[in-house]
Amino acid sequence: MLFTLRLFKQGLSLQFVTLAVLWCFILLAILFITLAVSATTGSYPLSLHDSVSTLLGQNQWLIDSQASLIVWEFRLPRSLVAILSGALFGLSGALLQNMTRNPLADPSLVGISQGAALAVVILTIVFPEYIDTWREIAAFSGAIFVAMIIQLLRGKGHPLKFILLGIGVAAFISAIISTLLTYGDIQSAMDALSWLAGSVHSASWHDVSILSIALFIVCCIALYQARTMSVIGLGDEVAIGLGTNLKKVMLIQLTLSVAAAAIATAVVGPIGFIGLLAPHLARNIVRSGPANHLILTALVGALLVLVADIIGKTVFAPTQLAAGLVTSLIGAPLFAYLLIKNNHK
Amino acid sequence: MKRQKWLSYTGIMIMLVLLTLTFIWHLSIGTKTIPISDLIHSFYAYDESNFNHLIIQELRFPRALIAACVGACLAVAGALMQGVTRNPLADPGLLGMMTGGALAVVYWSTFVDVDSLVWLPLIAAIGSLVSAMIVWSIASRAPGGLTSLNLILAGSAFTAFSAALLAIHHLIDQQTFEEMRTWLVGSLLASNIDIFYWCLPWIVIGLLAAIILAPSVTALSMGEEVATGLGINIKKRKWQLLICVVILTSVSIALAGPLGFIGLVIPHVVRFFVGADYRWIIPYCILLGAIYLLFIDSIARWIIQPQEVATGLITVLIGAPLFVLLVKMKVR
Repeated sequence: MLFTLRLFKQGLSLQFVTLAVLWCFILLAILFITLAVSATTGSYPLSLHDSVSTLLGQNQWLIDSQASLIVWEFRLPRSLVAILSGALFGLSGALLQNMTRNPLADPSLVGISQGAALAVVILTIVFPEYIDTWREIAAFSGAIFVAMIIQLLRGKGHPLKFILLGIGVAAFISAIISTLLTYGDIQSAMDALSWLAGSVHSASWHDVSILSIALFIVCCIALYQARTMSVIGLGDEVAIGLGTNLKKVMLIQLTLSVAAAAIATAVVGPIGFIGLLAPHLARNIVRSGPANHLILTALVGALLVLVADIIGKTVFAPTQLAAGLVTSLIGAPLFAYLLIKNNHK
Repeated sequence: MKRQKWLSYTGIMIMLVLLTLTFIWHLSIGTKTIPISDLIHSFYAYDESNFNHLIIQELRFPRALIAACVGACLAVAGALMQGVTRNPLADPGLLGMMTGGALAVVYWSTFVDVDSLVWLPLIAAIGSLVSAMIVWSIASRAPGGLTSLNLILAGSAFTAFSAALLAIHHLIDQQTFEEMRTWLVGSLLASNIDIFYWCLPWIVIGLLAAIILAPSVTALSMGEEVATGLGINIKKRKWQLLICVVILTSVSIALAGPLGFIGLVIPHVVRFFVGADYRWIIPYCILLGAIYLLFIDSIARWIIQPQEVATGLITVLIGAPLFVLLVKMKVR
């Protein structure tokens, strides 16, 4: 069953498959349940019922102000940051994979996350006084800089070259980061190190607002780009033949992908493999049109980071593992699996 | 033909001289610059009360020796891998063997005994053998088989996985992290002459095996059909070479931690000068690898005196741009 959504006098028309839309709602429901579960986990014990009622604001008469404080000030922003950044990483990966026509592209694999990380680490260690105000901008400029270097180096080669070059650039940047960490001031180095592991534990409502604005903008542009995305997937020649302004579209999508990854990285640090996994899992759940696939990808990405954070919080409690470590542990074997199963060539 | 052989021998001689010079340079510079005369005296008229002699013999000489050996081992390991897989981008570090070996060493020193130096090379060897086999099997099952791209992607996935395991280990066990931190970025700072003695037989075996196996690597680098036609038992030879690579890599890990990209850089430089004959590539790799790492280590100690940069960082900073260049030139 298909139906088409037309907006702005056909300026934007999106095709949806009913089953896929249904899956969107199912995922959304799962996300809410996981959110409630996430609010119960941590060193302060809280039952699922309590957490749900606190979240829904029905806990006022219990006057369990401590529970409400913990949920609203610590656990909820943390979970929301996990959800929002996961969605951004997922979207970034989906755009990158489509643009490079390479099912294995991921912002953390091709050096974009590392570029953002380098900029933030430099800021943390060299100009610690500006870190709060300039972090997002620094991350974005670092990421876009690396993406441009890779694009320049790639030239007209095979799309797969993008990844190999990215790995080289990523290794180079990682070495610079290590140098900075080893010889910088120890206090700022420790700050940078905990951020580098990709952790959501220091999330605040400020982060939530930044990420939600970013996600809203990225989502809007990505959905608007959805139609050209499927055309680009057919190959450069076909896309040009169908009247796509290839250069412009590529530029928009690359910038969008980099921006999404950069903002998410700026807030939570480089969380690996989400951009790789989310699009694939979304495709495995249900086949759908590009617009719907983007929404599914965002939901799956959100769910992945949230679950990774819950695992990181609980497995070695009271020691907390950064969500980025958990996603690497899960993501790397799945990447190997995808490498083997990859029949797109 | 004859002229070329003559040239190659002269080249070896020049490299030997260069190696000696770099070695002496490495010994003499540092936080305390030591005059050449003292340096030479310390070898044939060792005086325990002389502070300079003490520095040379106790600190710098072991370190220089280890740097030279590690450089040679890694360069040869890289050359063998590039020859066998016919992949210009092969390197023990890129294919996950380094982190695999390091992971094994870290786990070993946490759960068993830190002081048992005897087993260190062996543990590293097991770790890197296992990781090489994992990466290998992932890449060979991917569509297209053992291409540069598949190997490197599988390698980087494996590296990410073991790096995450290492990071988790650090979080849980802060003490080992403190002990291992400099070692894990690849440093010759804490190099220990006792480990070196345990590694020396392995180094000799590995390098000798590489020299002996060199002619068949030349054949293999021309393709499996050619090698079979020349009467080489490919499967057996590949296993022998893999074990040789694992020995060389794991010895370097045990001595200096994971030093990236040496196995990538040196063979390419060597091949540029001596061509595709592995009978010459291997000896040149031994010499140039030793010179290269001695040089890098000297720079690492000299550049921000009195502190020093981890050697592994400099090798990556030089190696990664070369990797990018190679991708640009060699991949399609």
